[in-house]
Amino acid sequence: MYFAGIDLGSTMTKIVIVDEDQKTCSSVIKHTGAEHRRLANKVMEEAMEQAGLSFDEISYVIATGYGRINVPFADRQITELTCHARGVYSLFPGVRIAIDIGGQDAKGLRINGGKLVDFVMSDKCAAGTGRFLEVIADALGLKLEDFGNISLKSTNRVSISSTCTVFAQQEVISRLSEGIPLEDIIAGLHDAIASRVARMVRRLRIEPDVVFTGGVAKNIGVVKALQDNLGCEVLVPDEPLLSGAIGAALLARELTLDALAKGEPIQRGERRLEEATFFK
Amino acid sequence: MVAEKSKGLTRVREIYRDRPGRIIELKEEGKKIIGYLCIYPVLELMTALDLVPYRIFGDMREPITKADSFLPTVVCPFLRSCLDLGLKGKYDFLDGIVTTHICDVGSNLAGIWNYSVKTPFSHNIDVPHTAHETAQEQERELIKAFQKVLEEFTGEKITGEKLTRAIEVHNQQRALVRELYDLKKLDPPLISGTETIQVIRALMSLPVEEGNQLMREVISEVKERKDGPTRKSARLLLWGSIIDDSALTEMIESLDANIVMDDTCVGSRAYFDDVKVTNDPVEGLAHRYLVDIKCPRTFRARDYNDVRKDYMADLESRFSYLVDYAKDWKADGVILESVRYCDTHGYEVPGIRDYLNSLGIPSVYLEHDYTEGALAPLRTRVQGFLEVIG
Repeated sequence: MYFAGIDLGSTMTKIVIVDEDQKTCSSVIKHTGAEHRRLANKVMEEAMEQAGLSFDEISYVIATGYGRINVPFADRQITELTCHARGVYSLFPGVRIAIDIGGQDAKGLRINGGKLVDFVMSDKCAAGTGRFLEVIADALGLKLEDFGNISLKSTNRVSISSTCTVFAQQEVISRLSEGIPLEDIIAGLHDAIASRVARMVRRLRIEPDVVFTGGVAKNIGVVKALQDNLGCEVLVPDEPLLSGAIGAALLARELTLDALAKGEPIQRGERRLEEATFFK
Repeated sequence: MVAEKSKGLTRVREIYRDRPGRIIELKEEGKKIIGYLCIYPVLELMTALDLVPYRIFGDMREPITKADSFLPTVVCPFLRSCLDLGLKGKYDFLDGIVTTHICDVGSNLAGIWNYSVKTPFSHNIDVPHTAHETAQEQERELIKAFQKVLEEFTGEKITGEKLTRAIEVHNQQRALVRELYDLKKLDPPLISGTETIQVIRALMSLPVEEGNQLMREVISEVKERKDGPTRKSARLLLWGSIIDDSALTEMIESLDANIVMDDTCVGSRAYFDDVKVTNDPVEGLAHRYLVDIKCPRTFRARDYNDVRKDYMADLESRFSYLVDYAKDWKADGVILESVRYCDTHGYEVPGIRDYLNSLGIPSVYLEHDYTEGALAPLRTRVQGFLEVIG
């Protein structure tokens, strides 16, 4: 039996397929974008091809992430909060606090034995998210991927006082015009995000292991800044984008096997492997 | 007019869609309509003089465009919306407006409304923010002053008999609301949280006797109905600041949960406390409106003279009623909501959560913008909360 988890994030779409033994058979990461979101089924087809499976061979599909309500081929939707908690736990069984910084928001999860017990989420505001760095990278004409390594060269980090993306952008430009080195500015930006997220997550009481996921966890500068702000080690998975999709796939597996063990019927969705129609 | 023919929940839905319809008819018949903000203006005094109290609401589906010239954007969007509607002429049918010292923005709004919207009659009741004995005395004097102003406005006197009668009909309405809420104790509840808000909104849009008639229709309809809410995995208690539109409750109830009880001012908070019959009716009114109503705008300390407060004992005395609600209505969790920038409710949240946590009652806090369009992130929070408690 095979189980799929699809995490339709605001920026990236991630799909993971696992088998009965929790082994990953395929994982695909694509940009969400307007077209891709509509064509989530294409990403699914790619994941199935990678695993050498047909759709009928996949016993259960769980959708998560912001786009979860519009996945016609999913059997069920579960929030990214629960899915991340499950996914991170599978990678780091000692996890107590997970921090996910994605394109659209930041989340803090308190996890106990793989179960989500409490959470905090940032508000609808780009500050403290991946979008914040994207906007600034764009303004500076730099590649986002380079931010982490550039910031490591910093010897005298500036303090970015604006927590608002729009104003921080102005602040960055004026710092540049003052002749402050780029690496010190970028290190300042990383600290701005990390301190904002740390303040929010502290409401859950920080307790190791702390795991950091989401696209922003790929930025070594933010990882370091988060460690400084929290005062503890922060673990990052090899592929920090996948924890939600892994969690969704594992939950799909657990729900199905539980139902089979109890002899209960499995609640299925419509499972139409086709385009979502909500753009009409 | 359709309103004459339809009854019960159908009528409720009509009033939800066209709120001032009936009130404009009454105005054409010569009745005077008095708008009021918040639940602290004493309705009985208006009813006793045959004035029609009409609660002022905002409109979260209407963008705020005019009010921003008068109020900063970093204050309560509900009150900004109310003023915006006033400035756009949506409350031009009012003969008067009664405001209270709800909060700082609310009381400033009263002044701004006076010189910018210019409703013919206006009065502000400077309701104290604590409920100790001297504050109660002040409240009694404020009620007497309000009575005098209303008598001057109408040219009629409020006799003891008229006031007693008004208290009776308002208490009847309160009893009817409690009766309706009893039907929410069942599983599934016989009426949804969304419908409940719409019913209460209708009551706040009609003269009290008409409201009582509508309530009787609603109660008998709800008892008999076969198309009520279905059983869901979670039963929720909803606490917080004003919700005068059902978009938020619709979102919550579109998930695997029923809102079975609330503590908001378009809900139980406005109706659960009766005015007690006292020799001097003003005493009963003052007690109800200052001491009994449980809105965080009034600080109800366990002991006002206790300088070294026992935190948990204080929380217990202030919020144990919420736990009673949760028990009596068998709620699995509590949603604490507040409109953005509502300090009054926001400051209450850490204490309520500490208290609920100490008793093992799960809760989640949502802050919203008083707009219909921004519900998606809240949906994730509510759904995540349901997964945590599920």
